[in-house]
Amino acid sequence: MSGHPPQPVADALSAPYWEGTSRGELVLARCGRCGFLSHPPDVVCPRCHDPHVRYRFERMGGSGSVRSWVIIRQSFLPGFEVPFLLVDVAIDEDPDVRLIGRYTDWPDATPVLDERVLVTFDLLDDGFAVPAFAREVRP
Amino acid sequence: MSPAAPLGAAVVGYAHSQIVRRSDDPLGALTLEVAQQAIADAGLSPDDIDGFSSSSLTPSAGSHPEIDGVSTVSSTWLAQHLGCAPTFCSGFQGHGQLPGAVGLAVSAIASGAARHVLVHRAMHNPAGSYHRSSMSSASGGAQWIAPQGFFGPLAMIGMTYQEYLQRHSAPREAMAGVVVESRKNGARIPWSVWKDQPLSFEDYLDSPMLTDPICRLDCDMPVHGAAAFVLTSAERAADLPHRPVHVTGIASTAPTRWRLPQHWPLDDLYEAGAAIRDRLRQVTGLDPTEVDLPQVYDGFSSLVYIWLEVLGFCGNGEAHELVADGGIDSDDPTALPVLSGGGALGNGRMHGIPQMLECYLQLSGRAGDRQRTASTALACHAAPHVGGVIAFASDTR
Repeated sequence: MSGHPPQPVADALSAPYWEGTSRGELVLARCGRCGFLSHPPDVVCPRCHDPHVRYRFERMGGSGSVRSWVIIRQSFLPGFEVPFLLVDVAIDEDPDVRLIGRYTDWPDATPVLDERVLVTFDLLDDGFAVPAFAREVRP
Repeated sequence: MSPAAPLGAAVVGYAHSQIVRRSDDPLGALTLEVAQQAIADAGLSPDDIDGFSSSSLTPSAGSHPEIDGVSTVSSTWLAQHLGCAPTFCSGFQGHGQLPGAVGLAVSAIASGAARHVLVHRAMHNPAGSYHRSSMSSASGGAQWIAPQGFFGPLAMIGMTYQEYLQRHSAPREAMAGVVVESRKNGARIPWSVWKDQPLSFEDYLDSPMLTDPICRLDCDMPVHGAAAFVLTSAERAADLPHRPVHVTGIASTAPTRWRLPQHWPLDDLYEAGAAIRDRLRQVTGLDPTEVDLPQVYDGFSSLVYIWLEVLGFCGNGEAHELVADGGIDSDDPTALPVLSGGGALGNGRMHGIPQMLECYLQLSGRAGDRQRTASTALACHAAPHVGGVIAFASDTR
C-alpha cells in the first residue's frame, strides 16, 4: 500500500452527491420530468431521454439489500489496505439502483444474499466521504 | 428451421502466430508477418487486399502506454505497413469486439467498399502488472467506483460471478469442469501458450484466490500473439484454394440499463443474452442449440455458464449442473463441444480468436487430427456482457 486512494473529482452533475456524502447523507439524482433515479446522474435522462434533464437531488433512506460481493485481495489502485470486501447493494427506493461500497462488518461477518444493510461513510482526504455498508441488524 | 443463406462473404484463409506469455518484440512486426502469411494462405498477394477491419482494444485497466505498432496494432497501422492500396480501413468500437470487426468486413464486401478484407487481432502482455493503475484522482465515470476500490475486470466479473453462485446455489468447485475442458483442448493446439499442459481438477481447486470468488485459473493468461483472417465475397471465394467458410449472420447485443461503470449485474447479462438468442434465430434461421459447433467465450471461466444458459443449452442457473454432469466434453459425442478449440483459457488471452479460428478450421476441413464433422458453427465473444456472435456455415458446393 502506497499513496492515497483515488480522490473523487466532483463535476457539475456529481457535486450534490459528494456534498451529501461529506454531510453523511446519501443523495441521489432524480429526473425532474419522469422521476427516474439516475445513478450515476447521466448527462441526459436514461429513461425519458430528456436532453435538458434537470435533476432533483434527494436524500435516500440509506438502506438496501445485498445482491453480491467480492473480496479484493490485491488492489490495482494505490492507497488501499488489502484485503477488503465490497458489496453490491440494491437500494430500497429503487432496487434497480445498485451501489458498490465496502462492507464494514467483514471479516467478523460475511455477507449473505438479500442481507439488509445500511449506508455509512468512509472518510477520505480533503473532506470527501465515500459510501460503505454495515449490517442493519447487529447480533 | 434451416440455415439462412450466406451473407455473401466468406473466410478464405488464416494465419496464427505462436502465442507466448511475454515478448519485447514489437507487436506490429509479428502482426505484419502473420498478415502476410494469411494472405498467402488465401492464395492472394498483398496487392489484392483493399480492406482492413479490427478491434484493437487492450483489455487492461492498467497504466500502460498504448503505442500503435508496438503494444497494439490497429487496422490503420497494418494497412500502412502491408504495402497495398486499401480502399476501406476501419476499426470497430462497440459491443463484441471480434464479431463487430467481422461485421464491418462483411459490410465492406457486401457494399463493394472492398473486395478482400483482412481482419486481424494482435494482443500484447505489457511488462509489469497487467491491471495496476497509478490513478490518484477519479474523474468522470471513475469517481463512482474507484474511491471505494472497485476497479478492473477481476472485481467486475467477480461481482457477477458471486451473484450467480449465490442466486443459483452453485458450488464454486463445479467450475473446475470448465477450466479442465478448456485446457485439455488448448493442450492440443500447436500455437497455444498452454500446448501440452492440461490441468487436473485438483490443480483448479488448488489455484489461489485473486478476487474472491475468482481464482487465478478462472482467468485467461495475458499473452503476446497475433492472428489474421482473409474475407472475400462468396463468388470470389469459389476460385481460391481453400474451401470457404461462409458468414451466415452476426448478432450483437445492445447496451443495457445505465449502471455504475464496470458493474455487470447478472440480470443485465441474461437480458442481453435473451436478445442475442432471438437475434441469432432471426438472422441464421437456426436456434443456437441446433448448431453443430458452438464455441462459447471463456475469457473468464464464469462467462461459459452465462453463454451455455443464454444460448439455450440449459435454463438460467443450470449451467453449473450441466458442467458437473460432464455436459461439456469435446471427446464425448453425447456432450457439447463448446470449448473444442480450447478457448481463451486454453490458448491465452487472444480475445475471441480461438473461438472464430475453431469455427473456421472445422468448417473448412483444415483441423487436421482434431477434425470434427460439422457444417454450422458459432463464435461467441464478449464484451461487454455477451457482446456478440458470428454464425458460420461450411460450403456445400
